[in-house]
Amino acid sequence: MYTLNAESLNFAYEPGSDVLRGVNASVIGGRITGLVGPNGSGKSTLLRLLCGFLQPNSGTVKLDGRPLVSLSAAERARTLAFLPQMVDPVFSLTVFEVVCLGRYPYTGMIGSLRSHDLEVVARCLQDTETEPLRHREFGSLSGGERQRVLLASILAQEPKLMLLDEPTSSLDIHHEVEVFELLARLARQGYGIAVVTHDLNLAAQYCEELLLLSADHSVLASGKPEEVFTEALLSTAYAASIRVGKHPFTGAPFVAAQSTRETPP
Amino acid sequence: MTVSSRSKWILPVLAVCLLIILASILFGAQSLNMAQAWHEWRTHTPLSEAPTLSILLNQRLPRTLAALLAGAGLALAGCAFQALLRNPLAEPYTLGVASAGALGTWLSFILVDVGWFFGLSLRLPTAQICAFAFAGAEVLLVYGLASRKRRMAPSVLLLAGVTMGMLGNSGIMFTRYLAAPERLVMMDRWLMGGVDVLGYRPVITLFIGVVPCAAILIAQAAKFDQFGFNAELAAGRGIHLGRLQVTTFFVGSLMTAIIVSVVGPIGFVGLVIPHSVRMITGSRHRLLMPLSLIVGGAFLCACDIAARKILPGETPIGIITTLIGGPFFLYLLIRRKFTDWDV
Repeated sequence: MYTLNAESLNFAYEPGSDVLRGVNASVIGGRITGLVGPNGSGKSTLLRLLCGFLQPNSGTVKLDGRPLVSLSAAERARTLAFLPQMVDPVFSLTVFEVVCLGRYPYTGMIGSLRSHDLEVVARCLQDTETEPLRHREFGSLSGGERQRVLLASILAQEPKLMLLDEPTSSLDIHHEVEVFELLARLARQGYGIAVVTHDLNLAAQYCEELLLLSADHSVLASGKPEEVFTEALLSTAYAASIRVGKHPFTGAPFVAAQSTRETPP
Repeated sequence: MTVSSRSKWILPVLAVCLLIILASILFGAQSLNMAQAWHEWRTHTPLSEAPTLSILLNQRLPRTLAALLAGAGLALAGCAFQALLRNPLAEPYTLGVASAGALGTWLSFILVDVGWFFGLSLRLPTAQICAFAFAGAEVLLVYGLASRKRRMAPSVLLLAGVTMGMLGNSGIMFTRYLAAPERLVMMDRWLMGGVDVLGYRPVITLFIGVVPCAAILIAQAAKFDQFGFNAELAAGRGIHLGRLQVTTFFVGSLMTAIIVSVVGPIGFVGLVIPHSVRMITGSRHRLLMPLSLIVGGAFLCACDIAARKILPGETPIGIITTLIGGPFFLYLLIRRKFTDWDV
């Protein structure tokens, strides 16, 4: 099982305005880790530090004990995959071509795919149930279909760990659940998944581990959903009055905001 | 329509390109008798006594080669800039790179006239150096302006490019009076664009400029695929974005500058060709770029045939490509969804 460990990360885009303060985080094979917290708390930045796009001002990110910076770009790409929040291509590609893009870390300069690469692509299309879409143009797909194709394209990288930035932000409830079901299935296959999300109830339902960032850019709590999603912690993190009950069907914590402000204006 | 069903057009397109190139050698102000040329070649007649062969070798062939190389390079630069800037309307002309290169070349003419580079100009390719200095600086400036905000705005990029193009043109107008009057005719003619080269010196300059640059750009094809789809996904797959940007801007503007310094600012080849070729190949650059290279070369040959045939005398080729490319640009502009244009 692969593990990505971040220890006491500090980061600022500009000196003086910290985006992350002393953050510890880990992504572990076979588990979904949810990164939650209010807007601007640094979730997406943390994800970019975890995949090595950004370098922390202090602290370390290690992949199975090796510093992430010591890995070559191709090595990193074969272990860690990153999915950004908005993917809006300018040129039209078919679903098949999009998934083939995931094979880049394994191909030479010309980028031609061998039969093994095509087998992987076919398997990824099947795993995400996007095989019937393979000849469609990516731009013509619905939001839910797009996310599944993007996940297929990430899977074609054959990563061990996946870092996903709000993969369900633009989806309706049905497709949101569909994506999380797919993630759960992938986690059972052994993938380690970190997912930034604003949907606390789905996070409570599908994530084994949660990391709650607060508006002051530090980790307020981490652990199992029951430990992190308490009324006290969530109310502090979101500066709102938040109630936590039990999900009527799954028994997971069920989160609802009571009012938008803690104190009236 | 899927990509595989469209790719059956590749061979016919290549055949048409070949015919255009042959026609460009055969047709001109005078029709050449090929049998006569062949006879002159076989009998080793000196060129001074072989009018047909002389026209063929000293005019038609270099002219066709110049059109091929210039068209190929401009089309390829268009492919590369479009992928790197993630903007389907980017090309050397709309980005203002061509105009900046023209201004550089123009100033080099004047420097020669003024005599500053006297003696030096014999050894250094002054026009190419000046063209590249201006084109390179311009592309960096436009890119810097457009990427000041976090997300690079396509509209800012194009407006900056077009504005820089206008500045370049007014720079040329402003410095016209510095030029020696007797050279002004030649310089004006260059400014309208033309591949009517004599002899092989310009062809060799083009060859040295275009071939290595084209090879470097085509070698980035797989990276352009990734980057055109999504920059962060590309980075996550191990592509060093900064390196790709530096390479492409450097090589793309160098190639454009050298082409412009020889044949003048010829617009819109880099826009029309990649878009047309994409309809056949799809957006995978390892197919798109080589085919754009060939089709771009043939396209400029075809425009040059038109330049020779439409009017008595020569129509500047830049006017012909603009007549084709301008409406094409407007069509693309209208067709685009406006949601893509938020600044």
